[in-house]
Amino acid sequence: MTVKIEVIQGGVPHNTILVKGLVASLVFIYLTYLNTLLPAGSPPYFAFFGGLAAVAALWWGSHTIKHLCSYGIGTGVPSAGMMSFGSGVIAMLLATQFGVGAPIVAVVLAAVIGAILGFVANNVLGMKIPVMIQSIIEMAIIGALVLMGLAALMTGGFTFQSLVTGASLPLAGILNVPNYMGSVIGGCLLAVAFMLGGIAIQHPFNACLGPNWTQDRMLILALECGFLSMLMAAIMSIGLIDTGAALISVIIAFLGWIYTYDLFFKLAKRDAAAWLDSKPIPEVEGH
Amino acid sequence: MTAIAAKPASGASLNPVASGIGIVVLIILIGIMYAIGGQIALIALIGIIVGGLLIAFGVHFVPVGGAPAAMGQAPGIATGVAMLAAGAGLAGLFGGAWAWAVQTNPDLLVAVITGGVGGGLMMAITCFFVNFIYIFGMGIPAASGKVKVDPLTGDTQPEFKSQGTEGHGLPFISFVGGVIGGIFGGAGGTLIYLMLLNVYQEVLPKMTVFDKAGAAGVLPIAISLAGIFAVGMFLINAVLAAYNITGTIEGPHDPKFKRFPRALIASAIASGLCGVAALAIVFVPV
Amino acid sequence: MADIPLVFEIGITAMAGALATIAGAAEDVESDIGSQGDPNSQVQLAPQMGYIHRIFNKAIAGEPPAWGLWITLGAGLAWAFMAMSMNPILAIILGCGITTFVQGVYSTTAYLGRTASLAKFGQPVYIDILKSMTTVTMAHAFVAIFATVSMCFLINTALGHPFPLPLLGLVWGIALGAAGSATGNPYYGKERQYQTQKFGAGVPIAASGNIVRYAEAGERNSLDNGFFTAKLAGPASGVCFGLIVFLEIWRTILFEPIGAGWGAIVVGVIMIIIFAAIDRYIEVWARKNYGPYTAPVAEASS
Repeated sequence: MTVKIEVIQGGVPHNTILVKGLVASLVFIYLTYLNTLLPAGSPPYFAFFGGLAAVAALWWGSHTIKHLCSYGIGTGVPSAGMMSFGSGVIAMLLATQFGVGAPIVAVVLAAVIGAILGFVANNVLGMKIPVMIQSIIEMAIIGALVLMGLAALMTGGFTFQSLVTGASLPLAGILNVPNYMGSVIGGCLLAVAFMLGGIAIQHPFNACLGPNWTQDRMLILALECGFLSMLMAAIMSIGLIDTGAALISVIIAFLGWIYTYDLFFKLAKRDAAAWLDSKPIPEVEGH
Repeated sequence: MTAIAAKPASGASLNPVASGIGIVVLIILIGIMYAIGGQIALIALIGIIVGGLLIAFGVHFVPVGGAPAAMGQAPGIATGVAMLAAGAGLAGLFGGAWAWAVQTNPDLLVAVITGGVGGGLMMAITCFFVNFIYIFGMGIPAASGKVKVDPLTGDTQPEFKSQGTEGHGLPFISFVGGVIGGIFGGAGGTLIYLMLLNVYQEVLPKMTVFDKAGAAGVLPIAISLAGIFAVGMFLINAVLAAYNITGTIEGPHDPKFKRFPRALIASAIASGLCGVAALAIVFVPV
Repeated sequence: MADIPLVFEIGITAMAGALATIAGAAEDVESDIGSQGDPNSQVQLAPQMGYIHRIFNKAIAGEPPAWGLWITLGAGLAWAFMAMSMNPILAIILGCGITTFVQGVYSTTAYLGRTASLAKFGQPVYIDILKSMTTVTMAHAFVAIFATVSMCFLINTALGHPFPLPLLGLVWGIALGAAGSATGNPYYGKERQYQTQKFGAGVPIAASGNIVRYAEAGERNSLDNGFFTAKLAGPASGVCFGLIVFLEIWRTILFEPIGAGWGAIVVGVIMIIIFAAIDRYIEVWARKNYGPYTAPVAEASS
């Protein structure tokens, strides 16, 4: 669509959303570290904080996409989400090697990768979009944080060690060899987290674009997409971590999803021209 | 709609300063890689950059018309360029990775070409079905909007363009472009995957995390890591190339095709950067 | 794959091809009922031109990324259930069922979001559309997801492809969306949305937005579009994706051992040349039989 979508009027400014999303996401990821403080051998009851980190990052990400795509980038909104997670997955996996510093390192690495990719897109490819570099930096950070959050949700930790450690149940039937195949990386559940985030980040803006775009409705939809992704990751985590800990994540994600889904229906009803059930096309003057 | 209104705005011009800075960054990245990983990492990084270049170059061949193509208003395949290229490239990666796995003494060249042919085959079938639907479903012959004569077959184009449109379907040059794009994409994706896989298989068993595993034990980790990185880098390169052609292109005969040099520079930098990060994961365990 | 009988492998190859065909057909009909992919732009444009309609507008994402998610998620959930020592068939069905739920949720939010944002042009939200179309797209989506995840499971388990199940899901999900949207979109976009325009010609750009909104009886909804596209676009997408999967596996299974891998390459190149020849043949056939729209002109006067 060549029509330039109007700039944000009113509402929460982008920088406020940026700061809130970044801080909330980092704090939630670090809260999963509480799992290591639990007595040895106890299940990772705090894994659900990883999912909340992903929700916070996706909430911020939907607004970044809106910020960038307002300029008409020449190709679809979804491709921006794919780029975000393509750079995010690389930064996030490298960062997991840095132990307890991983979330911070992920943010820094993603910012560096994003800055160079943004410079390349804007200057070498000559796109000349004012917010391009900042947006790609933000999206790479979001991609890394969402993936790290979902990985922490599925394993209870965010270090490389926990991502390659297999399920407690024997998948291959060989007990004395560590079962790397049944882990987040070995089973490539990272690919699922990749796609869950890649769609959830772009869907709120893609689904709400139009002349009557409203900020609160899009952000609620972003939370809804986030909780839905968290719910799916939580269901997958039953196969990897203790069932009790996984069920806590499932229940929290489900409650969050139900609440935001219902709220989104209310906001859509508020914004819609009419809310009809089994009614014909209204007569519009002139047609 | 964009495809019809869009004229090549900045043409094929290169920004020399930005490109220069980019190439300096690239050389620094290659130096960093050699410093932390030695020769094995350096060779792998160069392979990754070549793979990225193949992908970015290949995307420029893929004829994509976007939304107007779905209405028969513009020639090309009616979908997004980045994702169509990804579909072909990943189908090629599937074939290339498999060819590598089943051979007892796998040969890099054979696996990469197998991946390329896989991508080309996917595009050949898809392009054929696009024309099939246009001709037998909608009764519309193929016509290009950008050139008067198909450079391959010599068929004249303008009189086969229906009124009020930019052309429709896939003229033979676009078909060939699609196949070439699929071949480059599949080969590039496979090359990135195999380069990463070789390094991971070599280095992962030496890491302290995997002290009891051995080469066979870490194989699932190596395959998954290489696979997800290959997908990620494929998407980055394809999206950058899609930004370069602003969404739609008819194939190698399109004037926008001449923009490819700057996409190659962009792709070399992006692949180098991502390659360093992806390889460093096994060289900087803290 | 050395110790598996070749006949068994060929059978699995054929089975995978058949599953892919079903998946491709269901995928295209699903996206046409939902107006997903590129024809969506016209459903979005129509109210702005004053044509209020009762067509489902399900803009989740482009088809390749959306199908990338559905298949990857189905495969990931199935993988996780199998890790809980669940029977693979049950695990795949359960995983695909949950994925279909996600697809349904995304469909509703996409329709509500897009339609509410069109309030300025008076496009109302039709709750009956939401209820009847979402369930039908979910049914089609389940067929496509189940068939593709089963296919990936067979490729991984029976044929021994090195990729884990979710990664195979990502690869084939994106390829499914790409093949289905490339083949199916023009038929729905031109032939069905612009049924009233001249047959055998592209839609003039001036007619954009004037989509058909009335059916044989009453007002058209997206189920009518499903009936129509199920006749050609769906099966053609199915055959397209089925051929891609079948030929890709077939050439590896039979010809990879020949000449240290060169056999598969040669066969692949031959297949590409065959498809190019058929494509060239139908292109020339169309030029001859349909003829030019205007008299050939030496210089560009139009």
